[in-house]
Amino acid sequence: MKLRLKRRLFGTYGVLFLVFVYAPIVMIVAFSFNSNPINMMVWSGFTFDWYWTIFGYPTQLNEQTLYVESTDQLLAAVMNSLIVAASTTTISTVLGTMTALALFRYRFRAQRFYQGLLYMPMVMPDIVLGIALLVFFVSIGMSLGLYSIIIGHCTFLISYVFVVVSARLAGMDNALEEASADLGASEWVTFRRVTLPHIAPGVVGGALLAFIISMDDLVITYFIAGVDSTTLPLFIYGMLRRGVKPQINAIATLMLLFTFIIASLGLYLRRRG
Amino acid sequence: MPDTGLPGSGSPVAEVLDAVKRFSAPEGGTVTALDEVSLEVSAGEFVTLLGPSGCGKTTLLRCISGFEDLDAGEVRIDGTPMTGVPAQHRPVNTVFQTYALFPHLRVEANVAYGLEVTGVPRRERTVRVAQALEQVGLQGLERRKPDQLSGGQRQRVALARAIINRPKLLLLDEPLSALDRNLRHSMQLELKTLQHELGICFLFVTHDQEEALTMSDRIVVLNHGRIEQIGSPEQLYHEPATSFVAEFIGDGALFTGTIEGDPDPALVTDDGLRLAIRDGVPAGRRMTMLLRPEQLDGAPAAPDSAFGILEATLEQSVFYGATRQLVCRLGNGAAITVTPSPGADGDRLYRAQLGDALRLAYRRAEPHLIEEARDGG
Repeated sequence: MKLRLKRRLFGTYGVLFLVFVYAPIVMIVAFSFNSNPINMMVWSGFTFDWYWTIFGYPTQLNEQTLYVESTDQLLAAVMNSLIVAASTTTISTVLGTMTALALFRYRFRAQRFYQGLLYMPMVMPDIVLGIALLVFFVSIGMSLGLYSIIIGHCTFLISYVFVVVSARLAGMDNALEEASADLGASEWVTFRRVTLPHIAPGVVGGALLAFIISMDDLVITYFIAGVDSTTLPLFIYGMLRRGVKPQINAIATLMLLFTFIIASLGLYLRRRG
Repeated sequence: MPDTGLPGSGSPVAEVLDAVKRFSAPEGGTVTALDEVSLEVSAGEFVTLLGPSGCGKTTLLRCISGFEDLDAGEVRIDGTPMTGVPAQHRPVNTVFQTYALFPHLRVEANVAYGLEVTGVPRRERTVRVAQALEQVGLQGLERRKPDQLSGGQRQRVALARAIINRPKLLLLDEPLSALDRNLRHSMQLELKTLQHELGICFLFVTHDQEEALTMSDRIVVLNHGRIEQIGSPEQLYHEPATSFVAEFIGDGALFTGTIEGDPDPALVTDDGLRLAIRDGVPAGRRMTMLLRPEQLDGAPAAPDSAFGILEATLEQSVFYGATRQLVCRLGNGAAITVTPSPGADGDRLYRAQLGDALRLAYRRAEPHLIEEARDGG
């Protein structure tokens, strides 16, 4: 009796929790298929039109409801985001992994201190990091653009990769690398044949995490983007300032889908590793 | 071809000369893990490093394999100094305590690893891997991953992987400690057989004195980074050089006291216990006497000056199948273990009840006496 009540209470709590987390997301996906151009809270039928408009295809919607004036601008923003995310992921994965290896494999002075420094960018407020980077770039006379965004993203994404790879290294028996050396392998061969296969799931996980974070970073990018380097989040933010229009829902849904694909890929690779 | 002399002939396969290794302690200062350790391993020998945890035995092994550098002294293998030679270029291989099998590689790839990274052609690799797996009795498991093997099987893979490069010296770091008792026993015998077949020197690390006695040609007893004694298992058991060795190897009771010559030669402990000893020991010396359980028995009915007598109370009697062990309490409060032999005198002890007063006897010529260092260290 009492137990059943308890179970029911926990069940209800669980459902409420899921609603709390997922309701907004479910709503935005649903609205992206709503054909009502005036009030998106009122369902008036299913349509793919909002998706067609963002890619510049002709639809039956009248001109006033259209909102993305230039599909080229949108595609340019997507392109910028992909360039930034791909470059940042590559750089921060290589550097973050090397940093993790250095901190786990060697002993040196002030090791703890360096480790602390590596965690810092993750807890630092984005806005502070954004302002600091802006001031820095301006003071060294660097023009803002894709390069400044890539450098800015790397400063904190290296930390994310470092943390994920470190977790993997912490679970690794030191004797594995010693066994490899003992059997005659050079350091490079040991790294390639023993260490890398062991940390690979961490490296891939860190890379995907870096990619996703870089793709949707708004605050830091806002400060250090130049005129011609609008990324997708900046573009969406710009659209929102002129009112919430249904196309936003479609763009958000596509981003969500993209993120899901990346995350599933990560899970799949992790399970195989 | 290297010189493969018989045991004791030619130059030693491995030598450690005055090895010193210090570590900085976490609370500041340094800890001396190896304090002027010297030893040698001859061709075909099975040598065991024995000692309690923290005695430096694993450190010594790591200095030989090249994972640690000595602070002073030298390691030589086949006469060549190893100082500055990294682990990957030393002609020794290691069986790790955790086995350290590569989890992502199958058994055959694990075993072949040493051949692959040193550039042995594929054809030869296949032959040698099959041969090594046969030597350790693992045929049929080539395609398994390490996590699909039992502890004993992993142990064998580690062994096969370590012998495939045909090392001059095989280092084994407590390889049996993770196995259960029965398996450990059969592996001990197998290792010994394998060592004989391969003709490779084994340097085996353990804290288990029974294991050391069973397997070794010679045992090196280490304590606090120093060598206490090097000798055959028989020497260590019957003639331990220090009371540490006496206590560490085998069962037995130790009595420290001063030698007196009058009226009979005896060792008198500080609390007044008088133990008869063999003739010819100069009086006035401080010595420690070792009484093994099998040296004690029931006292003969008639007085006999060849025996030393101890009065004791029976506290516990434990049946071990072939033998029975009696734990007795002496007059000064010390406990002593006795394994009586079958026969008239021993039978009397077998029949004793807990709490009975017993007369124990030993041949006074038998117990080993250890000279105590003057400084008490």
